[in-house]
Amino acid sequence: MEMSRPLKILRDITAVFVTALFMFPIFWWALTSIKPISAVFDKDRVNFFDFTPTFINYGVTLFGQSRSQIAIDEGLGMGVAGAEAYDSRMSILESIIVSIGATTVTMSVAVFAAYAISRMTFRGRGAYLNWVLGQRFMPPIAILIPLVSIYKVAGMRDTDNLYMGYLGLMMIYALMNLPIAVLLMKSFLDDVPKDVDEAAMIDGATRWQTFCKVVLPMVKGGVAASAVLCFIFSWTEFLLSLFLTTDIRTVPVKIQTFVTSTGNEWGFIAALGTTAIIPSFVFILLVQKHLVRGLTLGSLKE
Amino acid sequence: MTEAALKGAGSTRLFVLPRFLTAEHPFPWLFPAAALMTIFGIYPLVYAIGLSFFKKNAATRKMVLDFDHNWTKMLYDERVWNALFNTLVYTGLALAFQLVLGMLIALLLDSERKGYALLRALMTLPLVIPPAVTAMMFLLMLNGSFGVLSRGLIAMGLLPVGFSILGNADTALAGVLLAEIWQWTPFMVLIMMAGLRSLPKEPFEAAAIDGATAFQVFFKLTLPMMSKVIAIAVLIRGIDLFRAFDYVKVMTDSGPGTATETLTSYAGRIYFGNADFPYASTIALMTLIIVIVVSSVFMKIFKVKL
Repeated sequence: MEMSRPLKILRDITAVFVTALFMFPIFWWALTSIKPISAVFDKDRVNFFDFTPTFINYGVTLFGQSRSQIAIDEGLGMGVAGAEAYDSRMSILESIIVSIGATTVTMSVAVFAAYAISRMTFRGRGAYLNWVLGQRFMPPIAILIPLVSIYKVAGMRDTDNLYMGYLGLMMIYALMNLPIAVLLMKSFLDDVPKDVDEAAMIDGATRWQTFCKVVLPMVKGGVAASAVLCFIFSWTEFLLSLFLTTDIRTVPVKIQTFVTSTGNEWGFIAALGTTAIIPSFVFILLVQKHLVRGLTLGSLKE
Repeated sequence: MTEAALKGAGSTRLFVLPRFLTAEHPFPWLFPAAALMTIFGIYPLVYAIGLSFFKKNAATRKMVLDFDHNWTKMLYDERVWNALFNTLVYTGLALAFQLVLGMLIALLLDSERKGYALLRALMTLPLVIPPAVTAMMFLLMLNGSFGVLSRGLIAMGLLPVGFSILGNADTALAGVLLAEIWQWTPFMVLIMMAGLRSLPKEPFEAAAIDGATAFQVFFKLTLPMMSKVIAIAVLIRGIDLFRAFDYVKVMTDSGPGTATETLTSYAGRIYFGNADFPYASTIALMTLIIVIVVSSVFMKIFKVKL
C-alpha cells in the first residue's frame, strides 16, 4: 500500500527510534566500561557524558594491570586486594578454546549425519531425525546433574585433570549444538539437487568421493554459517559452564565473579562484558543471511 | 563365470569391510553423531532417571533405593509448584510480549527504503550477547540507587525514590522479564520478517483493489497466512523460555525469597545448596517431561514440523 509522504517520514522516525531504544542498553554498557568509578556510582544524577573517559577497566581486565597499583597511581586511595582476580585474559582464552573445540566436534560429526539424512533412504531415518530434534528440546539441567557425577567418576572434572576438563566441557557444548548443526546442514544439503550426486556416481565416483569432492564444496557457505552459529552459542553459554567446571571459567561465568560481597565492580564487569560482545557481533554480521534459517533449525528460509 | 569368481577377480584387497561399514551404508555416516548423543545425552538421562529413584540421607550422605520418595516429595513441595507457576508466567508473558513486539517491529522495519537494511542489521545484535552479560547490563540499569532505567522511572514519578525493582518480590519478575524480552524480541522480529517476505503478493493486491483497510488486511490476510511461521517461532522460543535460568540466576538468584524461582533455577539451588542430587534430578526430569508433552501436543495441534 502506498503511504503518503508525512506518513513515510513518521514511519522512518519511529523505525529509528525503536532501533535506538533497542541499542540503548548496549550503548550504556560500552559507556559504563570507560567511565571512572565515581561516574558509575553517581547517585545524584544520571551521568551521560560528563566524565573523563578512562581505560583503567580494560587495562585491568584485558592487559593484566594491577588494580591496586592503578588506584595508588590515581590517588584514589582504594588499593585493595584481589588484583589478579580481575585479570580475565585466561578466561577469554579458555572461552575461545572451548568454543572452537566444541564447534569443531559438532561440525565434524554433524555434516556426515546430515548427509546421510539428506541423501540416503534407510529404516529409522525418521526416528534418527526425531532423536536429534529431541536433543534440542531437552532442558540442559536434566542431564547436567548426573553429568557432574559421571565426570567425577570418569576423572573428567577440570579440578582433577585440566585437559579432561576442557574435553568434558567441549563435548557437552558439542552435544547442545548438535541439533542446530545437523538440521541446518540437512536443510543446506536438501537445497543441492540429488541429481548432482547421481551424476557423480554414474561417472564412477564412490559415495565418499561424491561427498568430499562434489557435494561438500557446494555447501561451503552452509558449513561456515552453521559453524559460526555453533561458535556463538558456545561463546554465550552460561549454565553448563557454571555447573561443570571450577578452574575453567568461561567469560560469562568469569563476569559473575566480579559481583562481590563488598559491591559490584561495575567498571570491570562492563569492560569484560563489552569485550565478550564484540566477537559475537563480528560473527553475526557474517551470517546475517542465514540467521533465520539457523535460528529455526532450518525450517524457515529467507 | 560364477558370481564368487567375479568378486574374487575384482578385489585385490587383503580384507573386505563388512557391508555396514562401507560408505554406501548409512551407518558410518550416522554413527559419530549418534555416539555423541548416546554418551553425553542418553547415558546421563538414564542416570538421572535412576538417580530419581534414590533417597539421599542428609546426615549420612548415603543413597538408599526408594522408588517414590522424590516423586511424592515433589508433589507436596510448595516450592516446586511456585517454581512451576513462575516458569509458566515467565514463559507466557515473555512469549506474548515478544510475539506482539516482534510482529510490530517486523512490520515497521520491513521496507525497501534506504537505511532500513542497517536498522534491521542493528536489530539482530542483542541476539548474540551472552545472556549472562545481558542480565548484568539490566542489573546495572535497574539498580535502585544509580541505575539509569530505575532513575528514569523515578524521575517520571512512576516509582518511589530509591525503589529497587529487582529487590522487591512483586516487581522482580518484571525486571527479569525486561532483560529476557529485550534480548529475544529481535528473534521474533527476524522470523516474522522472513515470514512477511515469503507471503505471496497477489492476495494483497486484490485486497488493495477491493479497498480493504490496513487493519483488515493485517487481521484477515497477513496473520492467517503467517500462522505456520508464528507457530514455529512460538515452539522454538517456548522451549527455550521454559528452561529459563541465566537471567534469573544472575539478576535475582531466584529471589527475593522464591519470587523469581523457576524450575531450572530451583533444581540448581538444590544442587548447589544441600547437594540433594536425586531430588534436583527429579525436578529437572519433570521439566523435561513437561517440555516433551506440551511441545508434542503443540506440534500436533498446530501441525508444526521442524
